[in-house]
Amino acid sequence: MELQPGLRAAAILLLAIFPEVAPGSLDVGGYVRQHTSLLTDGGEYAVVENAVCLTIGKSRGDVAFRIDPYVYQRPDEELDLGLRQAYVDVYWSSVDLRVGKQQIVWGKADGVFITDVVSPKDLRRFILPDFDEIRIGVDAVKLDYYRGDGTLEIVWVPVFVPTLLPEEDSIWARREEFPVEPTFDRSSERVEPSLENSEVFAKWALLSSAFDFEVMSGYAWDDDPTLHMQPELDPDTHEVVSVVVRPKHHRLSIAGASMSADLWGTVVRGEGAYYWGKFFGTENPLTGDGVLKRDYAHYLLGVDRTVFGVRFSVQFVQQVVLDYDDRLAVDERSNVLTVLAGDDFLHDTLHLELFSYIGVSDGDALVRPKMSYDLVDGFEILVGADVFIGDQGMFGDFDENDMVYAKVKYSF
Amino acid sequence: MHRSGVQVLLLLTLVACSLAAAEPSARDLVEKVYYRPDGDDMQSRLTMTLIDSRGGTRVRGIRQFRKDFGEVEKTIMFFEKPADVRNTSFMNWSYAEVGRDDDQWIYLPALKKVKRISSDSKGDYFMGSDFTYDDLGERHPDDDFHTLLGREEAGGDSCFVVESVPVEDDYFYSKTVSWIVPDKWIVVKKEFYDEDGDLLKTLSVDDYQLIDGYWIVTRTTMHNVQRDHTTIMSLEDVRLDQGIPDSQFSERMMMRGL
Repeated sequence: MELQPGLRAAAILLLAIFPEVAPGSLDVGGYVRQHTSLLTDGGEYAVVENAVCLTIGKSRGDVAFRIDPYVYQRPDEELDLGLRQAYVDVYWSSVDLRVGKQQIVWGKADGVFITDVVSPKDLRRFILPDFDEIRIGVDAVKLDYYRGDGTLEIVWVPVFVPTLLPEEDSIWARREEFPVEPTFDRSSERVEPSLENSEVFAKWALLSSAFDFEVMSGYAWDDDPTLHMQPELDPDTHEVVSVVVRPKHHRLSIAGASMSADLWGTVVRGEGAYYWGKFFGTENPLTGDGVLKRDYAHYLLGVDRTVFGVRFSVQFVQQVVLDYDDRLAVDERSNVLTVLAGDDFLHDTLHLELFSYIGVSDGDALVRPKMSYDLVDGFEILVGADVFIGDQGMFGDFDENDMVYAKVKYSF
Repeated sequence: MHRSGVQVLLLLTLVACSLAAAEPSARDLVEKVYYRPDGDDMQSRLTMTLIDSRGGTRVRGIRQFRKDFGEVEKTIMFFEKPADVRNTSFMNWSYAEVGRDDDQWIYLPALKKVKRISSDSKGDYFMGSDFTYDDLGERHPDDDFHTLLGREEAGGDSCFVVESVPVEDDYFYSKTVSWIVPDKWIVVKKEFYDEDGDLLKTLSVDDYQLIDGYWIVTRTTMHNVQRDHTTIMSLEDVRLDQGIPDSQFSERMMMRGL
């Protein structure tokens, strides 16, 4: 079998560092999972998928490597296979260096991305997959410097990776509203790989007895493309007769912080970030080129507490667009509440959980009850539902996508 | 010697003999157990075998490290079994200061981040076993009122039997009764009573060993008599005073793993 050049280079690199690497000496884990989900409106299958996800690693003294290959098999589709992560670690006394494809997670929020901006997201199935499947690994050089209880982390991402968005015919594609059927010109969508176009992030984190704290900043690209519009007007009626949409990524500067502390049995979490120079869409394509540049702030406050054995977690999330203009398509303030309740039974083998996103501004919600049972160690049966409520908003837009699902997962 | 001097000497001797023969106080016994030397640091491999009423078993494997930093004792655990929790790690900082809550963090590999968790759930069962988080730690003598019930044979040793009633009203055990081996200051048997005063669990020490000069309990069985569920906990590869570096108890090591 002929290896792709990238994989061949990685294999040579691994063998150079770990000459004794052989299948028997590797640390291998992972899972096999079958996932079927059914749309309740119409009874069509939303997902029929068999997945094999592996974690393969080896450490030798102060060096280690890890690769996370995956294979997804879906009916009538080509095999989807790739590497979720593939990196090499080098450890010194107070410095760690990680080079390669890696998922990087920052912040204290659960299920909300505020300072967690290094790894882009795979949103081809909205935010329904597990979070380790939503985050896309990025080729990066990550350096951690440890001093006392603090850690300085610097990440350089040489090649920008955008959000993976649903295909146009997907049930998860958002229906943008245009005055007429648009034509897409994607010639300026790609950010050319170059040193100038790379991304840099930095974070200082403290883990202490009193509280945990992170402060971060980033010089990045907006993971989501801005839809610039070029309308053509009828010279007589001045009505829009055609629209050319040009998706384009723009630079985004970010600074933020997060914290968590245990106050008398309640864990209090906070996270916030300020974003400079985000392009927001407008209601009218004749405004500028359909977009306006604004700064915005995104923050949350959350609490976690166990009450009568039930774990509760509540987060209030707010996004505020600064210097707001009524022509913007987004609200000046958008508020979301997340609520989690969970408990375990039968000696930790039966798990019940209810997680909800509630769009306070739009009156919509995503409610996600699930129940899992560990039949034997490492073998899990999971059933659940994803219920979208409302007529509009981030969740209400998918009101027709309610589904029930079942998964069986064998971990090894 | 004057006659009065002899009387004083005799009196002092009698007092000394009676003091020597007197039973120690329950509080003293509990303190002897609590302050029993167990090394400045320890690392071991912990295996918990959970046995249900039908004889079905589940196995949890953990690699654990503990270090005494004086006013704080730090513990870090790396979960190895079952497979679906492999690479999860848990860190606990426990403080000598009475009434101060522990600090706890968990690293979940699927989320790829270290989360602070509340230490308020000490009554929760650890990994589905019959041990609560509190059972796994050492309860400070000030947290209970102690009464010496007498002496009784247990595990081949003549033991002091001490009843401990919690100071706080809403503790999840109404009382515990401990069988303490003198000189070694090990609890070889313990009974836990629920909030209604009924027997809930019995702990029996199946084996303890002198390792590197310290008495270490290496195998215990906890039986929940109300649910007829049992957990056998065994320690292997126990090493003490190996000079575990301070940096072992950090976010860095939680994420890196073993």
